[in-house]
Amino acid sequence: MKRWALLVPAVSLYFLLVPSLAHYLTTEHQKIAISFPATKNVLKAVSLDQGFLIGEYMVVKVITFFGGRSTPDAQPLKQGDYAIMYRNLDVATALDPYNNDAYYFAQATFSWEVGEFAGTNQLLEYGMKYRTWDHYLPYFVGFNYSYFLKDPSSAVKYYQKAAEISGDGLFMSLAGRNLYESGRTAEAMAYCKIMIDSTKNESIRRFLKKRFKALSAVRKIEQAREQFRTQSGIEPITIRQLSSSGLLKELPVDPYGGTFFIDNKGLVRTTSNFTEGWNKNGNKDKH
Amino acid sequence: MVISSLFLVIPAISNISIRQISEMSISLSLSLVSFVLLLLAVFLGGTTLWRDIERRYTYSVLGLPISRSDYLLGRFFGVTLCLILASIVLSLGALIAITMVANAYPPDRPIMWLNIAMAFSFDTLKYILLVALAFLFSSISTSFFLPVFGTISFFWLGTVSQQVYDYLHSPLGAATSPVVRNAATLLYYVIPNFTPFNLKSQAIYSLNLSLNGVWLTSGYFVLLVTILLTLACTIFSRREFQ
Repeated sequence: MKRWALLVPAVSLYFLLVPSLAHYLTTEHQKIAISFPATKNVLKAVSLDQGFLIGEYMVVKVITFFGGRSTPDAQPLKQGDYAIMYRNLDVATALDPYNNDAYYFAQATFSWEVGEFAGTNQLLEYGMKYRTWDHYLPYFVGFNYSYFLKDPSSAVKYYQKAAEISGDGLFMSLAGRNLYESGRTAEAMAYCKIMIDSTKNESIRRFLKKRFKALSAVRKIEQAREQFRTQSGIEPITIRQLSSSGLLKELPVDPYGGTFFIDNKGLVRTTSNFTEGWNKNGNKDKH
Repeated sequence: MVISSLFLVIPAISNISIRQISEMSISLSLSLVSFVLLLLAVFLGGTTLWRDIERRYTYSVLGLPISRSDYLLGRFFGVTLCLILASIVLSLGALIAITMVANAYPPDRPIMWLNIAMAFSFDTLKYILLVALAFLFSSISTSFFLPVFGTISFFWLGTVSQQVYDYLHSPLGAATSPVVRNAATLLYYVIPNFTPFNLKSQAIYSLNLSLNGVWLTSGYFVLLVTILLTLACTIFSRREFQ
């Protein structure tokens, strides 16, 4: 009898409490979207309460894989490797949607190396829903729109968001800047600097420093080209012209092993296209 | 020793992270503590009563002037105390590892120590609830299989039930047949839900804790443990021992 006196009110209260708990869990607890592909759902189901650990593990696996392949004597990464890495990060962020490493790594590699802007932006915009305090994610999306997709009007919205979150005037000035080609290189250099300063992982830093070095070389040639235009009133056709006119004291070296040239639109390009795995014929190696 | 050596490895592993070294150390610490508590809850909770009955310790204890319910509750609180002590020791080890990493690599967002303490506490509550479930299974069956594998199965079901519930109550789940939806909702009420006890995201990324959630989860824990133990005592009291 004593047990029933305890059990009946406990069960009644339990059934009264569960709807409130269900409402709290659905709306507040951890707002993870549910329309994931099957593999994500399966992994979420089998990871039990260790989703964060598995998410971390997947990101670390990608970082170490990339770190191992980005040393000078390592086998270069294949296009398919990037697809696998992206898939890993996509699933990892389903398990741990706050994982900063996943978003940062995606931005540092996928947009530059494989031109996967849509996928990178999709991942970053997903992260923005969770990391609402992090100004880097809208900045990265804005940068991708501005620099790669050449869509400044879309970029402005994200730069403004980065400025709102961080309170940093730099992002507002980016939002207001009328981008032109030489400004793009300066913008990319500023971006690389931000990326280098905000990572502690040595292999990623090395990777970004190489890119920064390449962009600095481009910037030097661009500055010489602008001086040439001002002085002679004509467009330089070759880099040799800049060097023989004394505006470019020494030919900058492309750290990716390519050769710089001026294309028919007057833009400074390199045969390596700033990518690893480039061969001397100007093509990506096929591995 | 093995566990403490794993805590020593946490700062080294966390260094692999690009930008969230401290967050990773919190994540690894919480996962390690949670995993150890899960093992303790399943194997202590699922084997205590079974072993006592199998080795006939129960008969000598029940020969004393105590009821079967007192015996079961005594065993439950013994295992719970063991779990709480293990949780305190492991949490202290974890806090040392986290402090070491956070001092070397200060995180972007300040660590909310209260959230970490709450995450450890609610993890402990989750496994106490699992022990209560294991005791209910132990009161039904003397075999090793039902208490241990039944507990593991219900732990899995209780961890994914929220995902199923969310799916069925989303626009995607609207197409599901009403019979399936009602059956799943009924199971959602009956199977202990372990999701609200998971405060890892709040601890790792210093997100605000919902006071409403803390109260609801605490109430859920008290009511469910009361129901499970009352049922376990009722079944155990009426059970025939050979």
